[in-house]
Amino acid sequence: MNEDMIVCRCEDITLKELRDLIAEGYTTLDEIKRALRLGMGPCQGNICLEIAAREICKMTDKKMEDIKMPSKRPPISGIKMSELVGDNQNEK
Amino acid sequence: MLKRTGIPTSDDLQSVTPDKERLLEGPVAIIECFNEIPCDPCFYSCPFKAIKKFDDINDKPELDYSKCTGCGNCIASCPGLAIFVVDYPKNRLSLPYEFLPLPSVGDKVWGLNRAGKSICQVEVIKVKDPDKNDKTAVITIRLSKKYLMEVRHIKVGDLDE
Amino acid sequence: MILLINTDLLVIGGGPAGMTAALKAAKRKAEVIIVERYHELGGQLTKQTHRFFGSKSEQAGTRGIDIARGLTKEIQNMSEIKVLTEATAQGYYEDKIVTVSYQNKFRKIRAKRIIIATGASEKMMLFENNDLPGVYGAGAIQTLMNLYGILPGKKVIMVGAGNIGLIVSYQLLQAGVEVKAVIEADSEIGGYLVHASKIRRTGVPIYTGHSVKSAIGESSVKGAEIIKLDENWQMITGTERFIKADTICLAVGLRPLVSLLIQADCAMVYVPELGGDVPIRDENLKTTNDQIFVAGDAAGIEEATAAMLEGEIAGLKAASEIGYLSEDVVEETRRLKRELKKLRGGPIGRKIRRGLSKVRGDDNVKKNRYSHLR
Ligand SMILES: Cc1cc2nc3c(=O)[nH]c(=O)nc-3n(C[C@H](O)[C@H](O)[C@H](O)COP(=O)(O)OP(=O)(O)OC[C@H]3O[C@@H](n4cnc5c(N)ncnc54)[C@H](O)[C@@H]3O)c2cc1C
Ligand code: SF4
Ligand code: SF4
Repeated sequence: MNEDMIVCRCEDITLKELRDLIAEGYTTLDEIKRALRLGMGPCQGNICLEIAAREICKMTDKKMEDIKMPSKRPPISGIKMSELVGDNQNEK
Repeated sequence: MLKRTGIPTSDDLQSVTPDKERLLEGPVAIIECFNEIPCDPCFYSCPFKAIKKFDDINDKPELDYSKCTGCGNCIASCPGLAIFVVDYPKNRLSLPYEFLPLPSVGDKVWGLNRAGKSICQVEVIKVKDPDKNDKTAVITIRLSKKYLMEVRHIKVGDLDE
Repeated sequence: MILLINTDLLVIGGGPAGMTAALKAAKRKAEVIIVERYHELGGQLTKQTHRFFGSKSEQAGTRGIDIARGLTKEIQNMSEIKVLTEATAQGYYEDKIVTVSYQNKFRKIRAKRIIIATGASEKMMLFENNDLPGVYGAGAIQTLMNLYGILPGKKVIMVGAGNIGLIVSYQLLQAGVEVKAVIEADSEIGGYLVHASKIRRTGVPIYTGHSVKSAIGESSVKGAEIIKLDENWQMITGTERFIKADTICLAVGLRPLVSLLIQADCAMVYVPELGGDVPIRDENLKTTNDQIFVAGDAAGIEEATAAMLEGEIAGLKAASEIGYLSEDVVEETRRLKRELKKLRGGPIGRKIRRGLSKVRGDDNVKKNRYSHLR
């Protein structure tokens, strides 16, 4: 099978890159996230984390239930700095 | 196989078709709803209580052919567009239609079978699109008797296509 | 200083579950804020131009978009409910505060109870060239078509014969788009057969036991290579076939949107029957965080009637916990639970029932997939 397909659209990561990394011994999502930036783009792993978890299961003979998920920190979606520093004085 | 292709088998159809005698008496609804889904609007739409009250919302609809007058009220109520009225003596079929443009009375259009194949030409004799039907038009067509139980959709447009 | 707003009940997500939850609580006089990330309420319903299934008493037979309009109007008439649109809940913090970016301003909201009704997001599928322009999710296509009146293409291949794939195919046909085929990996159609029959009789073939091997095209989709699968969903080489199309639409499932629940430390379990990670909860939809309820697709992928009933149950319970007690609560809750049970009673509900059996009880709490984060 051609492994040149996109797993994480935000960070442009292919199935091949993911599988190579798992084969090297990166078998937790946290490690993979740090090594590849998988799940760190705008969608925050909504799409790719499950696909990656499934690949780990396949390659290491684990069950989905046993894969530990990385944390989900706020903010959930992109926000502007101006929102945070608060230009609330401009409020009507 | 219905579950593989979306086309009901003749066994499926037999279970919802009244006998010849009833067909000969005049218009009657054919409810082609074959799996148990949580759905019941057809029951509420029938003014003659011909569709049995659902004990369980997942039940398949059950039609009492002797109470059904073929009025067609149920056709547009069904979100599955699964109800048709067949008028055997008059060679007529009424079906739900949700495409634009609507055909006009007198138009000759294609009659499509359950697999979507154009099998015959049919004539449009009624187009009902009242507000209460909320955009589901009910089209009545006249067609050859042998296709009454086959045609379930129409294609409006050029007949030569 | 970031403005802090206090309220009785905060409802996150303004879909059918969130709307009914807010209404139930507000009718008991609770003060409610709904935050909705889009510019209007309605959630998935705003994109559904077809008639809904379900129980007539929960508005089946009505078009989704009209159900949304009705509920929105009811909400606007309630002085107890404040609606913030273009307001995205961004995080839940230990001090029980939710941050919200609201029309480009940041806000903190402190509520006595919170109902999380954030709905779901779409799953993706792996195949060669899946990043080619012309590959869309079904949700995106519905948004383009039904909200903005833009057609995604002229010839579409639909992947997925669940209800969403079937319904979106039908909506495409209505918009005058040619649907070349519906491709389904499973050996049987997953959606309601009435939906399948209604697109089939317009001439759209449904290929069960098939998948997409690759999208074909240089700079955009020109077609797809589809392939037969064996019982174990493995591709059978030699059965490839090319279908010409300019759009591939993916409708391969939804996953509950649960980030906020994870931040709030609600115990989560992986339940494939419900679409992925979902929170453990009791029959009133209370999670393992005493402040937080969940309802609708965020609690497990189901449909709108169930979402509305769950919203109502959670709304009632939250209001009474805050202190808005009324005599009929017990009877009303019982009725809602009965309705929900009936709805899930049939063969279609089997999967849901199996899923739900995994979201209750202490044993399942131990399976929390995020416990290592504590
Ligand atoms: C194509 C299609 C056809 C369907 N057909 C039917 C049908 O015929 N019958 C039926 O019963 N059901 C049907 N459904 C299912 C039904 O639409 C859903 O089950 C239902 O909408 C779920 O309701 P909900 O309120 O849980 O979620 P949603 O409707 O998804 O609403 C969630 C809301 O939360 C908002 N939100 C999410 N995150 C945040 C955040 N962080 N901050 C603020 N707001 C947020 C979202 O913008 C959204 O408006 C269909 C679904 C689809 C996709
Ligand atoms: S055709 Fe009329 S009488 Fe017969 S089932 Fe439908 S609504 Fe009832
Ligand atoms: S309304 Fe239509 S889909 Fe629903 S139960 Fe009746 S016949 Fe079946």
